[in-house]
Amino acid sequence: MFQVNRAYPYIFYLSLITYLLSIFWGLFLTPEDFVQGNSYRIIYLHVPASFISQSLYLAMAIASAVYLIWKVKLSVYLVRSIAPIGAVTTSIALISGSIWGIPTWGTWWVWDARIVSTLILFIMYLGLISLHDSFNNNEKADKFLSILVLVGSVNIPIIKMSVEWWSTLHQPASITLSEKPAIDLVMLYPLFGSIIGFTGLITCLVILSSKLQIIKREKNKSWVKDYV
Amino acid sequence: MFNIEFNTLAEALLMQSQNGQNHGIYVWSVVLIVTLCISISFIFYKYKIKEISKKIK
Repeated sequence: MFQVNRAYPYIFYLSLITYLLSIFWGLFLTPEDFVQGNSYRIIYLHVPASFISQSLYLAMAIASAVYLIWKVKLSVYLVRSIAPIGAVTTSIALISGSIWGIPTWGTWWVWDARIVSTLILFIMYLGLISLHDSFNNNEKADKFLSILVLVGSVNIPIIKMSVEWWSTLHQPASITLSEKPAIDLVMLYPLFGSIIGFTGLITCLVILSSKLQIIKREKNKSWVKDYV
Repeated sequence: MFNIEFNTLAEALLMQSQNGQNHGIYVWSVVLIVTLCISISFIFYKYKIKEISKKIK
């Protein structure tokens, strides 16, 4: 925790600068899209949030497996601390997507596979938080939380593949590992910057949330009293 | 690559597209929502850590 505290300001300021510069680049310096017009600029805010909302769930699933196999207490603290941040980023992805949908699709909501699976992810984050908080026994809560996170991880490949498996209004991925990006490089560079910057900022939030979780759960230990 | 797309602040706020629609309202409302969500989250966690640290002390 002491080493993380030392690295925190560097991660925070570097990420904030990267994010702000990339957003400025995306909003003011990239050309207008010939199909979507200027509304496509929402990509620089929507895509990082959407990417992070799924990545956070994957991180929770890995931490849950670590807890269930090796009983590492810190990993379940991490799961509990990521859940609310996952809910925030998923809600940003849903809201920004809906706002983008108005000028692009002519509607803010459709019951389309990508959107519904993302909504399920949001509900799952909320459910995991409520489930954990509804137990009086922390050990039981941790165990149930980890199991449920692992069960729910089936939704992540569904979200990813929904645009391929079903006919959806949502466009397919513009960036894949195997093919040339469908988006022009002029628009792609600031997108990468905004994803990197946003990831850094969310990492800082996870650090703060984990710190809070550790202090809460270990408050009776002498080292926590020394630390605070 | 680094030419500013808008000539005035009003143009940047309105973000009028070639089809004549103003997309600024959509783009700027998303910017506002993201900024608020992230800032509130940071403030919330900083406050909670301070609060619990005070209680433990």
